Amino acid sequence: MSMKPLCVKLSVQPSRGLVDEKFTVLVQNLLPGFQLTVHALHQCEDGHSWEAFAHYTADATGTVNVSQDPSLDGTYSGVEPMGLLWSLRPVPGSKSGLRMRKKNVQTPMVVTISVYQGHQMEGFLDRVLLASVVVERWYMAPGVRRVPITDGKLTATLFLPSGPGPFPGLLDLWGNGGKLVEYRAALLASHGIASMALDYLTPQITKETGKIVDNDYFETAYRVLEQHPQILGSRIAMLGLSFGTSVTLRMAVYSQVVKLSCAVCISGSHVQPIGGSVEEILSYFNKNADKTRFDENNQVIWRDLLLPIPTDPSLKVDMGRLQCPLMLVVGEDDQNWPSYECAMDMKEMMERAGNSHLLTVLSYKNAGHLIEPPFMPFARASTFRTVTNPPTKVMALWGGELVAHSRAQEDAWRKMLVFLRENLYGSMKHSASFSNL
Amino acid sequence: MNFCHLQHKAQVPGGVRWTSSCRPAPLLTASPVRALIDDKISIRGHFLPPRCPVTVCAQMQSDDGDLWEAFAHFNTNSDGTVNLTRDPSVGGSYLGCEPMGLLWGLQPAPGAREGLRQGHVSPSERPSTELAAVTAERWYMAPGVRRIEIRQNGVVGTLFLPPGPGPFPAMLDMWGMGGGLVEYRSALFASRGYASFSLAYIGHKDLPGPQNRINVGDPYFNSAFQLLQDHPQVYPDRIGIIGLSFGVYLTLRLASHSGIKPSCLICINGPAGSTIKLTDADGKTEQMENDQKYWTYDDQGNVSFRAVSLPANLSPESKVKLEHLTCPLMYIVGEDDLSASSIENANLIEETLSAAGKSQLFTRLSYPGAGHLIEPPYTPNSRASLWSVKPQKLVTLWGGHLAPHAAAQEDSWKKILEYMETNLRH
Repeated sequence: MSMKPLCVKLSVQPSRGLVDEKFTVLVQNLLPGFQLTVHALHQCEDGHSWEAFAHYTADATGTVNVSQDPSLDGTYSGVEPMGLLWSLRPVPGSKSGLRMRKKNVQTPMVVTISVYQGHQMEGFLDRVLLASVVVERWYMAPGVRRVPITDGKLTATLFLPSGPGPFPGLLDLWGNGGKLVEYRAALLASHGIASMALDYLTPQITKETGKIVDNDYFETAYRVLEQHPQILGSRIAMLGLSFGTSVTLRMAVYSQVVKLSCAVCISGSHVQPIGGSVEEILSYFNKNADKTRFDENNQVIWRDLLLPIPTDPSLKVDMGRLQCPLMLVVGEDDQNWPSYECAMDMKEMMERAGNSHLLTVLSYKNAGHLIEPPFMPFARASTFRTVTNPPTKVMALWGGELVAHSRAQEDAWRKMLVFLRENLYGSMKHSASFSNL
Repeated sequence: MNFCHLQHKAQVPGGVRWTSSCRPAPLLTASPVRALIDDKISIRGHFLPPRCPVTVCAQMQSDDGDLWEAFAHFNTNSDGTVNLTRDPSVGGSYLGCEPMGLLWGLQPAPGAREGLRQGHVSPSERPSTELAAVTAERWYMAPGVRRIEIRQNGVVGTLFLPPGPGPFPAMLDMWGMGGGLVEYRSALFASRGYASFSLAYIGHKDLPGPQNRINVGDPYFNSAFQLLQDHPQVYPDRIGIIGLSFGVYLTLRLASHSGIKPSCLICINGPAGSTIKLTDADGKTEQMENDQKYWTYDDQGNVSFRAVSLPANLSPESKVKLEHLTCPLMYIVGEDDLSASSIENANLIEETLSAAGKSQLFTRLSYPGAGHLIEPPYTPNSRASLWSVKPQKLVTLWGGHLAPHAAAQEDSWKKILEYMETNLRH
């Protein structure tokens, strides 16, 4: 009687998930002790291929469970349920300086998860493929509506959650790279927050007039949210990353129009000329351009441009005047902005002013600048195109180390969602303390 | 359509308007928001007033455009949450703690097409204040599953292949006399790693006519099995057969032929012989409506076909030689089946195999309160439905009561997948 060949079974649950949901990868019906490689492959919108892989050995029941078993080697090691996603890197031979960012949020990110015999390091296409499944990762939950916004000369996209509302609102700002980046706002709407992604450095109006927008642009965006029939005007937050933090803090503290329920600032700074225009803030940074450094790979380090942190109060947002809860998220290895030092300075300002009960600081060792939603590939450096005229292309060093940065993203996102939900959905209270973190 | 959209809504009964000046609407979440039909989902409401009545509804539009609804009443707990995995429904489409109750409890909404309303539990009011909603997608096919229309060697069907290189274990999938092609069970098998072939045999435009009788015989079913065996991505010695209703007879008939060696058989609520007179030795049949002497009617004029498949009433020349079976067989009984004599046929099969010294091949699952159409779980079911419009409108009884039938679907599906795992993968 001949032995039937092994019928390897590979399953990933859920096969369709939101990008911040965990999955379980299970390989079954193996011989105990069988050596295999689990491999992830993704082709991004720009056509580049990204891969991750890990070596496992089947246990006594002939099973490998990626959520529970250690990877022995590969693009990650140890027990890492989501390592196949956050350790994705461009395949050998790819262009350098790539960073994965989804432009079209209405389609999923498609990842092929495969199992190969043996402990393979490379050349996967030529190896014996045992099994393969397809996984979809979505930024938009079903029922979330994507609404392009052009009122008030804005260049923005609003994402509305499923249902009648009214929903709390959120203004979502990215950094110096400009453009309209939608994916974080789409994901927040999938969690019940009506979120508007705003292009404020390269909007249509700037392309037409050549002028950088100013405070009234942000106030208009805020008003669009406030007046929207499905958004609760009294529950609006702002979320800023990098230069988006500069705008968020300025609006939160000084604007007569913008009244925030809370704010989240990632990898940014309060250092800016008070009372100046947005353009003047950008010039202020450029003035210190001679402090730019380069690492051994000629990658640009911009963190020194704002150091040392000025003592002159006209060069810092007056954090003592902040009246809403604020969460600061910083990576201690941020090579692009001195976000950790700024967070410490902000904390000190607020302690002196007596409003530090509003402040929560999440600070992550060995995390870099780009603290984004979890389980996305990490880039320690990538090509960066400035929005100056003329634009320049450099290899910007963001900082961070793969594992620590990926853990930071997962932890920060979870805490940010709790913070936003408590302040936007919970009963009104001016407290930044919440026990279930 | 690859999936259906399910809208879950939370409402307060009576006309309490949500005053939106200081609080956003409550948050309703579902996880996962995109799932396969047989996956469980967890529905929760947050930021509701504490200790307050709330109704959670589900609404689904079927492929045919019909609206289905289910609802359940809860009282939120002291932290203003409701959690369908933890909390009991105190009224509505189901009672008690039933995490998937809003799905299997779906019934045609009032005003839906006539003929779908049979067995409707209670009319749903349309409360004027919808507080919150979440949309979930329920998919038949996992990503990467390939759907292939087969019209080959006269065989008519749809093949579903899992993603990946294969080869895969496979299933041949046959439904009842309703005809056409029912694909979704095969799509789900493929989503779970099995190649699966839904086979048409009656009432399909691509089969030899007329459409109201079976015009294909043994060679047709042999070809279908062969087609799977010959497929480069199928393990030729890891093929099972599943049949529901009349499909059970076809499954048993095919498996009892020499030369056909399935790895296992799964039979749901069907006869061990033909319920329609055969017209030749190959198994072609007459029209089903030709012989109505065993049809029985209830007070509303609804017809039950149950007695047609009593072993004594089956056409003797069609009774399958069960003693020739050589592979494991699982028979699933809905004890309240009003369309087939499932218990009696299960007994017949068990006795025959036992007499032949093959009782170790037989497994029975039996579900009190379950009806005829034991299908994959979390799908709505009816106690009766429209069978035909010509020559007169006829509604047929399937039997089964809502909650026990849903429990039978959930449990049997799990056991079916385990049975396939054991017999097709190991």
